[in-house]
Amino acid sequence: MSTRRLTRDALLTAVALILFTVEAQVPVPVPIPGVKLGLANVVNVWAVCTIGPWDALCILLCRVILGAFFAGHLMVLFYSLSGGLLSWCVLVLLRRVTTRRQVWICGVCAAVAHNAGQLAAAVFVTRSAAVLAYAPLLTLSGMVTGLFTGLCTQYLLARRLS
Amino acid sequence: MKTRVWVLIFAAVLGICLFFVLRPRGGAPSMVAAIYVDGELARRVDLNQVQEPERYVVDGPDGSNTILIEPGRICVEEADCPDQICVLEGWLPDFGFPIACLPHNLLIVMEEDAP
Repeated sequence: MSTRRLTRDALLTAVALILFTVEAQVPVPVPIPGVKLGLANVVNVWAVCTIGPWDALCILLCRVILGAFFAGHLMVLFYSLSGGLLSWCVLVLLRRVTTRRQVWICGVCAAVAHNAGQLAAAVFVTRSAAVLAYAPLLTLSGMVTGLFTGLCTQYLLARRLS
Repeated sequence: MKTRVWVLIFAAVLGICLFFVLRPRGGAPSMVAAIYVDGELARRVDLNQVQEPERYVVDGPDGSNTILIEPGRICVEEADCPDQICVLEGWLPDFGFPIACLPHNLLIVMEEDAP
């Protein structure tokens, strides 16, 4: 791994971690477990679209592990990991079939996949299918927040290219 | 794929989710609440049978939640988790979704009347 690549990935991890940590300090107005803006999704989508899936996976894993330390709860690691990995898989599949003007689609799908992964983790942890009652709400919130983070990424990419 | 196709897919998913969130729930709601800790049933309360308000403290390995049981309703009154989502979710059955404290792996669900 070249120094340039290592530095770039480390910097992106730091950016994602800052977004993740700052966002965790802001209370969410909706009392539904798992609903949040997911600003770190911007870095995730951007990384998969520009520098390739494997570097994006490294950044994601580093951010999730370090983020769990900063959040101070081991459960955070489990939930972020399952959500993050599922959204990464979806992004890797989508990057081939979407154009630069469709990055918001990646954002929406990644956010919905992230929430779906978290919900799967919640079913596993609570050993109860009752939490699936949250599925429609989490899908809705994922679409709204994903549209926001996806558009952020799209404008970011456009700016970089011009 | 065309953007139009994606928008149609998203609109369909949006519609389905809105339907499930807003659909009217038929019949009389069940008044039996079940409290699960770490996936195990800790307690089952028939909220119609409750006479006096009662506090039920769940002390798990990860933290504690104080559950307030009143005639006809139940909520988490206090929790030492960082996000306080379970407290903000308010009363069951009014809330309409299970009350979950994921950091402590606590779940309060309204059950059907049959045990």
